[in-house]
Amino acid sequence: MSGAPGTRVPGPLVLGGRSFSPGQLLVMAIVNRTPDSFYLPGVTWDEGAALERVHQMVAEGADILDVGGVPAKPADEVTVAEEIRRVVPFIATVRAAYPELVISVDTWRHEVGRAACEAGASLLNDTWGGWDPELTDVAAEFGAGLVCSHAGGLPPRTRPFRVSYPDVLADVLDRVLGLAERALRAGVDPAGIVIDPAHDFGKNSWHSLEITRRLGELTATGWPVLMSASRKDFVGETLGAAVGDRLSGTLAVTAVGAWLGARIFRAHDVAPTRQALDMVAAIRGDLLPARMVRGLA
Amino acid sequence: MNRGAPSVIRAAVCPSPPLLAAELAGRADVLPGLRTACAAAVARLLAANPDVVVVTGAGAATATWDPDDRLDLSGYAPALGTGGKPGLPLAVGLGAMLLDAAGYAGPRVLQAVDEQAPPAECLGVGASLPGLAPRVGLLAMGDGSARRGVAAPGYLDPRAASFDASVERALREGDMAALTGLDPDLARDLLATGRAAWQVLAGAMSAPGTASGPAGRVLYADAPLGVGYFVAVLDPPDREPVPVPRA
Repeated sequence: MSGAPGTRVPGPLVLGGRSFSPGQLLVMAIVNRTPDSFYLPGVTWDEGAALERVHQMVAEGADILDVGGVPAKPADEVTVAEEIRRVVPFIATVRAAYPELVISVDTWRHEVGRAACEAGASLLNDTWGGWDPELTDVAAEFGAGLVCSHAGGLPPRTRPFRVSYPDVLADVLDRVLGLAERALRAGVDPAGIVIDPAHDFGKNSWHSLEITRRLGELTATGWPVLMSASRKDFVGETLGAAVGDRLSGTLAVTAVGAWLGARIFRAHDVAPTRQALDMVAAIRGDLLPARMVRGLA
Repeated sequence: MNRGAPSVIRAAVCPSPPLLAAELAGRADVLPGLRTACAAAVARLLAANPDVVVVTGAGAATATWDPDDRLDLSGYAPALGTGGKPGLPLAVGLGAMLLDAAGYAGPRVLQAVDEQAPPAECLGVGASLPGLAPRVGLLAMGDGSARRGVAAPGYLDPRAASFDASVERALREGDMAALTGLDPDLARDLLATGRAAWQVLAGAMSAPGTASGPAGRVLYADAPLGVGYFVAVLDPPDREPVPVPRA
């Protein structure tokens, strides 16, 4: 830790024994073990279909797989046992198929996090902003990474209702840095701590545009920033686009986020995201272009 | 020929696309066959044990550059600032790069020749080279037409193929008169940047005391990206084979 309070010198992100340098832009591919997620509901509900999707996502350049068993939206309750049933055996299957792949579990529950880590997960994507403090202890116990998110203090699976912030970015910073401090105190490996402003979570679409525009204030903390914007409502509301028509908007958000220093991009569409990120990385000078011939023959 | 007289003991001919600097191509291995041929030609040149290697290639003016100068790639790829010498002509810089890649650390002369220089001036530059040392090696850097096809940098010129074919034949047959006779205006029209360097070569290898044309061997002749590339090695005709030093 150095510099202003809560800031640090950017360093490698270490997850599951793999190390990712600050210049690397990582695709976190979404696999929902749910029948009712908002985009392509049920497409990976079947385990065989889910594994096929994993094969495809890895081939397309996914660096991290994010497995979730409970949709963010309010709907029928998913019990701890059911969530474990949905995600844990699948994580074990993926771990066996891809020993090197970083597997993340998208959960707010420490029981699920524990079972997932035992099955091979090495990142806990706590999207609901530290609702269950014991999840942090699981990360520490297993040497797993932890995503520290801002959900505006909302309970899991609730929607924002007339939420307002004097300064949404300040609120995000306060929350995610507080969670990161809590994680450090609990013994979580600092090299595995990630912060996420969590677009749409506890935010209206104006808020999500604001945190996108000011993402540089988050990356300036030195913590690796995760951007989870894929096909979300703020993209849809901004463009007047239905969920199936939000890829272009998502990629624009992705490119802006990468330019402003975010390092992980949670995505449904791995190949286009990988391509957008590679383009940004090449513009930044962090990635050699594939093949340059024009004007050089 | 008087064996004690200074002379060009061997010459290598290589093209000068920026892509010869591999880092300019990005992650891809572009023109690997050309690269291999250039390395082979330079290795042959150095195997002749030259006292000095003269690198010649077209530039904005006829001038000798500091032997320690190296190509500045930043003009071609600002992201790849390499700390080279601004203004060092591409062809000369790439020749220096080839020598470096071959591990050559001996004396070198970086001799640019005005790309617009008339043949007589180029021949004169060449004729002065044998006097530099008893055993002079020459690395002539230059390209054929950049108008070899519709996808070529300069688009298709129907005269390009025959122009390049005449150069290839001249290199293969050691026909220095044919190189001497290359028309500067036609070469300019065809974006053939090698004309001046090849005429330096002709001047060097036609120097007094050289009985007849050199023996040429063409290692590469193709235009995979629409620009004519030639790699060749030329030996004076009346020389004993030069022993290859033990590596």
